Amino acid sequence: MRKGLVFVAPLLIALGIIGLMASPCALAKAEVIKIGINAPMTGDIPKVGEGSKYAARMWLNDIEANGGLEVGGVKHPVELVIEDNESKAESAVKVNTKMITEDEVLVIVGPQSSKQAVPAGGVANNYETPMISPWSTNPDTTKDRPFVFRGCFLDPFQGPVVANFITNEFGYTKAAVLYDVASDYPKGLAEFFKQAWEKLHGKGSVVAYESFTTKDADFSSQLSKIIRSGAEVLFTPQYYNEVALIVQQAKELGWQNPIVGSDSWGSAETVELCGEACYGLFFSTHYAAAGATGKTKAFIERYKEKYGYVPDDVAALTWDSLGIVETAIQKCGKITGKVEKDRNCIRDAMAKVEQYDGITGQMTFTEEGDPIKCAVIVKISDQGEYEFYKSVCP
Amino acid sequence: MVEMNDAHAMKTKGARGRLRRFFSGIPVLGWLLGALVAVVLEHYLGDPLVDRIGLDKIPVLFGAVIILKKPLMIPGAAVFLLLIYVIPIAVVARAGKTLSNRLAGALMRFPIAVPALVHLGLLYGAIHIWSDVSAYRVLTLKLTFVAIMLTLSLNVINGYMGEFSCSHPGFMALGAYGASVFTVLLFSSDRLFGDPLLPEALGPFLFPAGLIFGGLIASLGALVIAIPSFRTRGDYLAIISLAFLFIVKSMIENLEFVGGPRGLSGQPNYANLPTVFIWTVLCVWIINNFVRSTLGKALNAVRDDEVAADAMTVNTRRTKMVAFMFAAFWAGVAGGIYAHVLRYVNPGTFGIQKLAEVLAMVYFGGLNSVYGSITGAVSLSLLSEALRPLEIFKWIIIPLLLILVMIYRPTGLIAFREFDVRKVMQPKSNRDDEV
Repeated sequence: MRKGLVFVAPLLIALGIIGLMASPCALAKAEVIKIGINAPMTGDIPKVGEGSKYAARMWLNDIEANGGLEVGGVKHPVELVIEDNESKAESAVKVNTKMITEDEVLVIVGPQSSKQAVPAGGVANNYETPMISPWSTNPDTTKDRPFVFRGCFLDPFQGPVVANFITNEFGYTKAAVLYDVASDYPKGLAEFFKQAWEKLHGKGSVVAYESFTTKDADFSSQLSKIIRSGAEVLFTPQYYNEVALIVQQAKELGWQNPIVGSDSWGSAETVELCGEACYGLFFSTHYAAAGATGKTKAFIERYKEKYGYVPDDVAALTWDSLGIVETAIQKCGKITGKVEKDRNCIRDAMAKVEQYDGITGQMTFTEEGDPIKCAVIVKISDQGEYEFYKSVCP
Repeated sequence: MVEMNDAHAMKTKGARGRLRRFFSGIPVLGWLLGALVAVVLEHYLGDPLVDRIGLDKIPVLFGAVIILKKPLMIPGAAVFLLLIYVIPIAVVARAGKTLSNRLAGALMRFPIAVPALVHLGLLYGAIHIWSDVSAYRVLTLKLTFVAIMLTLSLNVINGYMGEFSCSHPGFMALGAYGASVFTVLLFSSDRLFGDPLLPEALGPFLFPAGLIFGGLIASLGALVIAIPSFRTRGDYLAIISLAFLFIVKSMIENLEFVGGPRGLSGQPNYANLPTVFIWTVLCVWIINNFVRSTLGKALNAVRDDEVAADAMTVNTRRTKMVAFMFAAFWAGVAGGIYAHVLRYVNPGTFGIQKLAEVLAMVYFGGLNSVYGSITGAVSLSLLSEALRPLEIFKWIIIPLLLILVMIYRPTGLIAFREFDVRKVMQPKSNRDDEV
């Protein structure tokens, strides 16, 4: 008797559900556009994941306020599939596979850091799904992958930008570099800077090329060497926590000359940790928060109002990547509901995006998947704000 | 173990006990046949059924993924599971009880290899048809298999040998890079190594050689730490092996020819599901034989009392070295497969986080037990997939679970249990009659 009940009860539930579900399916609706966000919500860099998520939510709010994304005269509802990749390569690959095969997203935005974007890009390319990584600077992410794009400029561009800026601005000829040998981004950028500098000023003009390892906190021996080498400027493409230590220790050891950084300085934390020691320094980045105008200003203000802090470059780049996706979908002209066809259409449209006017500058895409866009040189003001100084275009 | 369960079932009263008795006496073969029928059903009837009960798609990991994302679909997923998995498996296994027992009995009269191959064939058939539904299933399966190999190999050191080794991600990294350099150098054109040296058609056949090469490099690394560190025990080995992990990581970060911190990509796509499955089976089989051999027993003796073991003519130093290198070899093979599943490796992957993951799987599943390692690896892999939408709370729930397991079962879920292949495959009806 009881055994029978065990089997009968679920069957009854099943029948009930079938009855419930059968009715509302008949209505014809505009196809839902699904966009995947593959971001590191947990792990090493949760702040990056948070920035991506918030920017994506803001973008979705805009779309929803318009009643959907209008493509070829039809308003399509948009759904974001936000997944956590734990800042791990294998999870990023799993998340991409899941979003592509299970959720059937049309486009993926993310992953942010290169160690996830490189393998995840492989998956996206295999399944012919367009993916745009807002923040990844590793050339391998988009290399030979027609379906993979990125929202930022590459290090081979940023290195020369900084080298040219220092030369034109200060007229120095001897530079020193201090970088983390164990982290791919600083290491790559340090190399590109060195190449560019030596091209400008001849061999041996980088008088000190010093390295350390992630999580080192004492840089005095490297800095003493740099000071002794007679360098006129120090370039250090490090993340905010190290920047604060390096700058403060350099000042303590008697370094008087400028210290120049790269887009990894762009976090709000840099000034908070570094304090007055960082005032007056320059770095190259994607956009400047202080003194921003137009769209950029509107974005920063909205973000600040909603989430309580000034967005860093990841949020801005994610916002722009979503904007590019939006443009590409609209250019595509029609969402058929056939996932493969729509994905191909969006990819083709994305490779032809020209002069997209984003908040991190104007972008033009090519078949390579890397945007042609300008870099911004930012000066940290005496109030600790990131002020626009000048713009450098390729 | 089986007798104990049956006796236990006899004693337990109520629905649970009756259910257990109802399904007792079904051999593994019967369950496998049931699973095969279920996956075939899903393959052919899954999509129509999904439409009928209002789900979007076939619940990919038994509904684990949608539980937290789309709670409204839980009833649908439950119905699906019941109709496709629970009922068919139960019915086939129960109805085919006599038949499968007779079949299992007939198979057991052949040399052990025959029934083993039949069982594995059925298991792979079920897995293959199951994974055919979605690429996400294939990937999850592959990474779970890698986790099983890693956990099992770490269990040899931490469980059977009773030392606390922290260098496993290091061995994995050595294997991953060893195997990757082997295949990328020989069979794929790449930014770092240029054109392939051998014709690409040879690649899949030499892939095992690449994996073994990676495993041997890992063993060599194990030898390097075994020589100085086995003069010490306990905490000291833990610290030395942790240091080794950092040495390997920094070494790879500074080796420009494998890409340094940027990592190495472009591994050819050799790690398909059958390959990974075969390697996992090999790993389980060989490690199981190893721990049940004289050497394995010697290893246990060394763990329990080194002086006594020495007195009983066990060559303790050699035993420890062999076990350590053996475990490192399999960690290296697992690393090689991992690298070819993701088709990208970077040194940052093989850090403390990976170590914590593998250690959790070993201690969650159970020390000194092949069953335990498999259980630990599979359950934590699935759990971490299922809890992904919780984001940061996932990292509270999983450690909490681990703490609970440590409180109620200090050696893990299924610890100190022998995995006897012959016993597993035996027919069960005879004993049932006796009872």
